[in-house]
Amino acid sequence: MENPRLIFSSTPHVRTTNSTSKAMLHVIIALLPAVACSLWYFRLPALLVLLVSIGSCMAIEWGVTRFMFHRKNTLTDCSAILTGILLALNLPSTLPLWMVVAGAVMAVGVAKMAFGGLGCNIFNPALVGRVFLLISFPVAMTTWPVPLADGITGPTILSMTKLGTINATDAQLMPLFLGFTGGSMGEVSAAALLLGFIYLLAVKVIRWHIPVSIIAGLAAIDLIAGYPPLIDILSGGLLLGAIFMATDYVTSPMTKKGMVLYGLLIGLITAVIRRWGAYPEGMSFAILIMNGFTPLINRYIRPQRFSPRRKEAIA
Amino acid sequence: MEVLIYTIAILGLLGLSGALILYITSKKFHVEEDPRIDSIVSMLPGANCGGCGLKGCRDFATRCVGGEAGKLFCPVAGSEGMAKIAALLGVEATAMERKIAVLKCSGCRQARPKIYDYDGVNSCAVMNSVGVGTSGCSFGCLGCGDCVEVCNYNAIHIDMDTGLPVVDPDKCTACGACTTECPRHLLELRPEGRRKRRVWVACSSRDRGPLARKVCASACIGCGKCARVCPFGAITVTDNLAYIDPTVCKACGKCVGECPTGAIHASFELPKPAEK
Amino acid sequence: MKHTFKIGGIHPAENKTASLEIDLQPLPTTVCLPLQQHIGAPAKAIVKRGDKVTRGQIIADPGGFVSAPVHASISGTVTAIENVIMPDGRTAPAVVIKADEDEHQADTEARKVFWVKIDEERTLEDIIGNLNADKLRAKIAGAGIVGLGGATFPSHVKLNAKDAAPDTLIINGCECEPFLRCDDALMCRWPHQTLEGARLLMRASGVKRVIVGVEDNKPRAIEALVKASEDMPEIEICPVKTKYPQGGEKQLIEALTGRRVASGALPASAGVIVNNIATAFAAYQAIAFDEPLIERIITVTGDIPADMRRNYIVALGTPFSELPFTLPENAMAIIGGPMMGRSAVRLDAPVTKGSSGLLLISHPTNYETQPCVRCAECVEACPMGLEPYLISTYGRLRHWDDARNAGVADCIECGSCSYVCPSHRPILDFIRIAKIRSRK
Repeated sequence: MENPRLIFSSTPHVRTTNSTSKAMLHVIIALLPAVACSLWYFRLPALLVLLVSIGSCMAIEWGVTRFMFHRKNTLTDCSAILTGILLALNLPSTLPLWMVVAGAVMAVGVAKMAFGGLGCNIFNPALVGRVFLLISFPVAMTTWPVPLADGITGPTILSMTKLGTINATDAQLMPLFLGFTGGSMGEVSAAALLLGFIYLLAVKVIRWHIPVSIIAGLAAIDLIAGYPPLIDILSGGLLLGAIFMATDYVTSPMTKKGMVLYGLLIGLITAVIRRWGAYPEGMSFAILIMNGFTPLINRYIRPQRFSPRRKEAIA
Repeated sequence: MEVLIYTIAILGLLGLSGALILYITSKKFHVEEDPRIDSIVSMLPGANCGGCGLKGCRDFATRCVGGEAGKLFCPVAGSEGMAKIAALLGVEATAMERKIAVLKCSGCRQARPKIYDYDGVNSCAVMNSVGVGTSGCSFGCLGCGDCVEVCNYNAIHIDMDTGLPVVDPDKCTACGACTTECPRHLLELRPEGRRKRRVWVACSSRDRGPLARKVCASACIGCGKCARVCPFGAITVTDNLAYIDPTVCKACGKCVGECPTGAIHASFELPKPAEK
Repeated sequence: MKHTFKIGGIHPAENKTASLEIDLQPLPTTVCLPLQQHIGAPAKAIVKRGDKVTRGQIIADPGGFVSAPVHASISGTVTAIENVIMPDGRTAPAVVIKADEDEHQADTEARKVFWVKIDEERTLEDIIGNLNADKLRAKIAGAGIVGLGGATFPSHVKLNAKDAAPDTLIINGCECEPFLRCDDALMCRWPHQTLEGARLLMRASGVKRVIVGVEDNKPRAIEALVKASEDMPEIEICPVKTKYPQGGEKQLIEALTGRRVASGALPASAGVIVNNIATAFAAYQAIAFDEPLIERIITVTGDIPADMRRNYIVALGTPFSELPFTLPENAMAIIGGPMMGRSAVRLDAPVTKGSSGLLLISHPTNYETQPCVRCAECVEACPMGLEPYLISTYGRLRHWDDARNAGVADCIECGSCSYVCPSHRPILDFIRIAKIRSRK
C-alpha cells in the first residue's frame, strides 16, 4: 500500500467547539434585552447613539489594523461590536453624536488598539470611553432623559440622594427594577440586565463570582452607611457594570479567589464613591481602578497547585 | 499674588525635599564599583547575546576585572577586542580564531520535497517535538526559522528559494545562539579559515544511504569518497555521515567535487563548479 | 459522591463509538520489531540476519535494568536488522522477520488455539504454583511486559518498589482518552483473566490490596469486573467519574486513595503502584501460559464507517496499513487517543507495545488562532493547578527560568489547556518546549 499523504500536528488533536468570537456573541445576545429596553424607552435618539457607537468602534478598529498594524482585520472576533454596544449603553441617549464618536475613539483607539488590540488592553475600553466623556463633558453626560417621555430630563435617584433632595428610603423599588427612572441607555432596567446575567451563566461565558461579590461588597458598605442596599444595587450603572463590564475576560483576574477579591473591592470602592465621593455614581471609576490592580491580583493569588510549590514544601 | 508665592514655595519645597531624599539614598546605597568595568562594557558589543556563556556583557566585564580575563572570550568582540580589554587590565590577551556558523543541511526544496503536511505553530522546536518534519528527514532543517528569530545580529535569513537559513558570514559573530536554539543542532561554529575558505559537510543524516537518499537528493550517504580523496586525512565517516575536521582541513576543495550528492559545501568559488 | 481528582479536568466529547468486540487480526507474513518499544535503554538484538526464529522466541535482550526484551511475534527468518521508518517518520533500529507459507500456517493455528484456551478461567493458586514475588517479577521482565497504557515503562521495574513499601496497587482501567475502547473491550471480554492478572501483579509487588479504577461511562465493564471479583477479597472495583485526565497516574491516585504525589516524585512515594489494565492481562498471559508480550489489543476508530470501528488483537510488528480501515478527507492518523496520542505519518510502520489505538480523523480546519483574552479556561482546566497561559508565554518568549519557577516540570502534557482554549492557541506546544529547555 502506498503511504498516504497525512497531516501531522501537535496534541491535543481535538479542540473545543467554543471560540472567543462565540463568547463575544453570547455577551452581545445577553445584552439584547437591555438594548431592546433602551430603544423602547428612549426611542430614536437611543438608536442613533447605538448605531454611531457601534459603527465608529468598528471603523476605528478596522482602520488601525489596516493602516497601522498592517494585520488581518480583526472585526470577525466581534469584540469591536461588543465595545460599541457597551459604550452606547453607558451613555445618555441625549448625548450629541460627535461626543459618541469621541468616546469611541478613546475606547477603541486609545484604550484597546494602542495597547495592541484584543487581549492586550489593561483597562476596559468601553469604560475608558465613558469616563473620558464623563470628565470632559460632565453636563452632557449627566443629563439623564426620563424614559418614555420625549425631551424631558430628570435627576437620578443617586444624584437626588447625593444632593439630599430625597431620602433614599423613600425611593420605590419597582420603577428601578423595571426601568422607569432616568439613567444612561443601558442601566435603566435592572430586569433586562438580570435576564442577560442568567443567560451568560447558562451558556457558561462568565462565572458568578465577580457580579455576586461586587453586589456583596456594595451591600456591606451600604449597611454600614445606613443606605438601603437594594435601592443602591438597582440604581445607576451597578448591574450593567457588574454583569457586563467587570466580567470582561481581559481585564479581570484569572482565579476564582482573585475574582472574588476583585469584585468585593469594586463593590467597596463604588459604595465609597457613591456615599462619600464627589460623584453620584462610582461604578466606572471603581472598575477602572480595579482593572489596574488585576495584574497584581494575578501575581499574588495563584491557582492551587496539585503538588505544593517547592518553597512551601520546605517551610 | 499670595497664591503665586504659596505655589512657588510649596513646589520649591517639594522639589527640594525630593532632591534631598535622592541625594541621601544615593550616598547611603552607593555601591563601590571598579571604574574599569564600565570601560570594558563600552568595549563590548552590548547585545547581551550570551555568546561568552555568561549572563550578559556586564557580567562578562565584571568577571574580567575579577581576574578571569585570561579564561573568558567574547566571540563578538573577537581577538582584536579581547586584546584591547587585556591591555586595559594589563593581562595576557586570549586569542581565538574567528568562527562562523554554518548550516549542516543542504536539503533545499528541490532536493527534499514536502511529503507530509504540517498544521501547527511555525516553530522548529514545536515541529520537532511533534514529528519528523514535512520532508520526512529526521535530521534535516525544518525551515521554520527559529535560528533567524534568536540571532541578535540579523546574520541569518531564510532563503525563499531553498527554504533553508543562510548565514551572512560578515554579520555572524559566532555567539552561538543559533547553535543552541536549533532543535536538531544543525548549525555548527567553524573557524573562519584562512582567506575565509571553509569546507564543510552540509548534512547531518545518520541514516543508511538508501534511507537518506529516499527523502533527500543531497544527503550524505556515507560513501566515503571524500575521505579517500582528502590529501590531509581530515575527513572521517561515522554512522553513515562524513565529518571534516576543521583543524586539519586546508580547504583545498577536492572533496567538494567528489561528493556524489553535492552534500559538501565550500565558502568559496571552486575553479570547476561541482557537477551533480 | 463519585471518586475523582480535585483540581481541573475537562470533559471532551467521548466518541466511544467503536464496537466492544475484539477480533483476531490475521498474522502478517512480515513483521518489523523495533528494538526500542519501551522507555529506557534500547534492547540489544541477539539474532543475526538469516537466523530462523520461532514465535515467542527472544530476539533482543534488555539493554539495561530499565529496559525490556523483544520477542519474535511470528516464526520465520530474520531478513534484516536495520533502521526502519517508525509511524512518526523517524528511523529506528528494528529486526525484520519474514515467514514462509508453512510457518505462517502453523503460527496461525497455534494462535487460534491460544486465544481459545485463554477463555478458560484459571485461578491464581493454579497458575502461580510455587513462584514467589522475585520469580514472578523475573517472569514478567522476561516476557517483555511494559506499561501498555502508552507510557511503556518496563513493568518489572515499577513492581520492584520495596524501598518505598507501597501498600496499594492501582489498576488503571479508566481509558479517559476519547475514542479509544480497547481497555473497555478487554474488561468486558476477559474480566476474570484481567483481575487474576491484577492479583499476579499484586503478588509480584508485595502489596496487600488492589483498586481497579474504571470510569463510569463503562457500565458493562464495571458490571463484568464486579461479577468476576466476587471471590477476590483483595480487589476493589471502584467506578470513577468520567473526567479527563482521570487516567493520569497522579490524578487516579488522588481519586482512589486521596493521596497526592509530590512534585517530581514517583507514585511509589505515595505508597502506590499504578499499572494499566492491559498490563495486568499481559501479566496473566505471561504467567499462566508463558506467552510473552507479542500481541496487543488496539482500537481502530475515528471518522471511518461505523462497522470499521473495532478492536483487534494484533501481533506486534504488523504494519498499521494491514488493519482494515479507510482514510477520511484531510486524514490525520494518530497512534493513541486524540488528547495525548502522537501524529503518525507512516502507516506502513509497525504496531509497537505502546500503540493503544489507531485513530483516523479528518483534520479539523475550522478554527483559527486568536489572541489570548485571559479567559482563565486553561487555568481552570489544568489538572496540575498550573497557569498554562503564563508558562506557554514564557516558552514562546524563551524565558526558561521563569517557566521553571512557574512549575513547568509538573506539567503532565495532558492537553487540557489547549483543548479548552477558546482562542485555539497552541498552549501545550510551547509548554512542552519550555519543559524540555528549562530542564538544563
